[in-house]
Amino acid sequence: MSDPSGRARALILTALFAAMVVAAAASIRFGAIDFSLREMGSATLALLSGREPATLDGRIFAQLRLPRAVMCLLVGACLGVGGTLMQALFRNPIVEPGLVGTSSGAAFGSALYFVLGSVLKFSAGPWTLPIAACAGGVVATYLVFALARANDAGRSSIVMLLLTGLAVNALCLSGVGFLSYIARDPQARSIIFWNLGTMSGSDWPSVLIVGAATIGGIAIALRYAKPLNALMLGEEEASYLGVNVVRLKWAVLTINVVMVAVATAFTGVISFVGLIVPHILRILHGADNRYLIAGSALLGATLLSVADLVARVSLRPAELPIGIVTSIVGVPVFLYLLRQRQYVF
Amino acid sequence: MTLKRVGALVCACAAVSACGRFGTAASAGPDLDRMVVISQQYNELIYALGAQAHLVGVDYSSTYPPEIKSVTTVGYHRALSAEGILSLKPTIVIHDNNIGPESVVRQLEQLKVPMKTFEAKDDSIDGLKALLREMGAFFHKETRAQELAATLDRDLAAARERAKAYRDHPRVAVIHFGRASNVYLLVAGKGGSGDGAAASQMLDWAGGEQAIQGNGMQRMTSPEIIAQANPDVILMTEFGFDRLGSLDQAKTLPGVAQTTAARTGRIYRVSEHELTYFNPETGKSVARLAELIHQSRP
Amino acid sequence: MLTAEAIGYRVGRRTILEDVTAAFEPRRLHLVIGPNGAGKSTLVKLLARLVPPSHGRIRYGSTDATTLGHRELARRRAVLSQAVEVAFPIPARELVMMGRYPHFTGQPSPDDEAICDEMMRLLDVVALGEQPYATLSGGEKQRVNFARVLAQIWRPVDADGRYLFLDEPLTFLDIQHQLRFMQLVRGFADQDDVVVVGVVHDLNLAARFADRVILLDAGAVAVIGTPDEVLTPEHLRNAFHVRPTVVTNPATGGRHLIFD
Repeated sequence: MSDPSGRARALILTALFAAMVVAAAASIRFGAIDFSLREMGSATLALLSGREPATLDGRIFAQLRLPRAVMCLLVGACLGVGGTLMQALFRNPIVEPGLVGTSSGAAFGSALYFVLGSVLKFSAGPWTLPIAACAGGVVATYLVFALARANDAGRSSIVMLLLTGLAVNALCLSGVGFLSYIARDPQARSIIFWNLGTMSGSDWPSVLIVGAATIGGIAIALRYAKPLNALMLGEEEASYLGVNVVRLKWAVLTINVVMVAVATAFTGVISFVGLIVPHILRILHGADNRYLIAGSALLGATLLSVADLVARVSLRPAELPIGIVTSIVGVPVFLYLLRQRQYVF
Repeated sequence: MTLKRVGALVCACAAVSACGRFGTAASAGPDLDRMVVISQQYNELIYALGAQAHLVGVDYSSTYPPEIKSVTTVGYHRALSAEGILSLKPTIVIHDNNIGPESVVRQLEQLKVPMKTFEAKDDSIDGLKALLREMGAFFHKETRAQELAATLDRDLAAARERAKAYRDHPRVAVIHFGRASNVYLLVAGKGGSGDGAAASQMLDWAGGEQAIQGNGMQRMTSPEIIAQANPDVILMTEFGFDRLGSLDQAKTLPGVAQTTAARTGRIYRVSEHELTYFNPETGKSVARLAELIHQSRP
Repeated sequence: MLTAEAIGYRVGRRTILEDVTAAFEPRRLHLVIGPNGAGKSTLVKLLARLVPPSHGRIRYGSTDATTLGHRELARRRAVLSQAVEVAFPIPARELVMMGRYPHFTGQPSPDDEAICDEMMRLLDVVALGEQPYATLSGGEKQRVNFARVLAQIWRPVDADGRYLFLDEPLTFLDIQHQLRFMQLVRGFADQDDVVVVGVVHDLNLAARFADRVILLDAGAVAVIGTPDEVLTPEHLRNAFHVRPTVVTNPATGGRHLIFD
């Protein structure tokens, strides 16, 4: 790329990639236990060759720390890209990836499991909670799609989606509230902490599932970057530019739902990441989605890794819920950038 | 220094046993060298039994006795992390099946960390005594356990006798604020097990009468419930009372202001410890309760 | 050639357009005029295939418009709308490049870049290239959009022709730019395979620049013809309920309308 804009973009993306690597490395190394390089090395070798690491520390590293670090990268990327996609689709910067019912539906599904799980006969062992949360997220989102379909080809359908999403969110959250109310104390606690998010349940099987959804989703999303750019001009203009707007909408929404529902199912609700990652990137270098999608994957991964590190280290050996940390880590950075550059709406 | 040595020893043992060349473990008993105990009740009993020397980690809610605050806390018992627990290099993790998130237990099992939950539950005096026996045996403090049980029986019998001397049976309501939340709970009548049953039972022994009927803890939905019940005495656990600050403040709570208790100034501060669950000092607690609720003026 | 065969448009029970039949030839600037609510914008939207007509058929050259996919359509027809608002920061040049989106996948080719450069020169917006679109004035935005729209159909794709639609595009432009704009449109229309159909409010612009004028009234075509044929006091009074005085423009010798 010979143009200065292209070079700036490449520079920023490279810097983000480097930041992600550093964050991931710190995330792997430090925590309630600080691993030595040798310990990490031998445990990784053991893992790769299918053996169990020799020491307890090694096993902790291979079975707890490493999958958790990878999960942070994946979920961070997923939320970042989800935020970008939804903000592009709704042409509105105040949109979170879980807006169309996904997060609140997942919250309801998980609350249902916590409070009534023993009553309802369905059980799939350790998979029950993620399945309940994922199902909740998907069903709530489907509800939003179905209810908003009144005006499918019309221009107001995006607005319909937004409003219907708000309504379904309210419904799900009041459901969660009710379940909290009738719950016994331990169950009510579980609901609270699930809604603040945690990466502590990460293991290799869940990493694989989230990885498949996230990497697949991002790969497909990149192909929609240009149409999403065109969508910035409005649905009508985008249509004139050759974009099949209806198909774009459903495709992007589906990608987002799949990624976010799956991630939320395993980590609980982690808010704020999807909201501010696209903002920060836009402030740095504008709103071209080809840059934004890649950038938000990298920045989201970085942010969440850093947040998780802070969550694990600041009160060690106790842990802070990660949702609290993402807000505390993200807001000052965001405000700082906001003051530096003129952000135009 | 000791930490590193013990840690190295643990790793060496783990490595050796992972090799599998030495067959099954030679010693039959659990290794209590470094204990992480995640249970408010268990920790209190451990201190009562004098077995706290090797305690290296407790949960945030374990606050009794006061000395326990010097032990490292691994976090809130419903928001733990396996890694946090393991960073203390425990040789055993003891809990009462009230740990969250669920994945933590699975992860500890997967890493083959020795864990223990006691069979007996302290949901009744007998249950408490059974738990004392079990824990006494586990920690090799059998004598002490017997002493505690005997003292408990003695104190309780004495307290109940003295309580019979009072002729009135004041109607008592118990208001309990939970520790990690601001939920305003009313302890009601004969619940099944736990969640208010202890308080009801103790009130009964102290010669009082439960003012609120119902099962277990109730969230106070309407001030009318307590106003209607119109208790003669209100007992408030320390967390809530201290937040309000004083008797006068307590009198202003919705629904409370209209009660006999408020009007006669019979609202008393009690500690969670002496009212809401059974422990070795319950006998003494019942005695104090009896005195408290039968006095006519503060 | 763009042909509309008895196209109509209904929303619910309201008929917005009723059986419009017209042929739009290349090398001619067609301007659609009419009172508010006559259906002018709707006609352009139907012709541009934003929405399908309730009945009737539209042909681009020899091809039935319904057989064309979104992208194929975008490579041969472009629409300039009244105003385009963008919520996110994007440089003006990137907006112009969007005109070339139907023509490349992935990254733009050097040819695409060259076309963008030339369009921006033509519309006098080169200096605005790196500025965020949202910070531009109304007139500057409109010029950027025109650059984009022209870039979209600057090169012929096949024998079926190129089609430019203008939906009241002169709002926000000052008089200098209005005239320049119309001249540019005229110049662009002067190609064998280009059909231009526009909607304007200013009847004198129609008088000055149009080759053909379509007067639309209450969803139907009232008159089609040359400016002289259409812009008569009779026709204008029927449609607009105002009677103009017709004078001769001393500069061009053409028709000029004065309204009291």
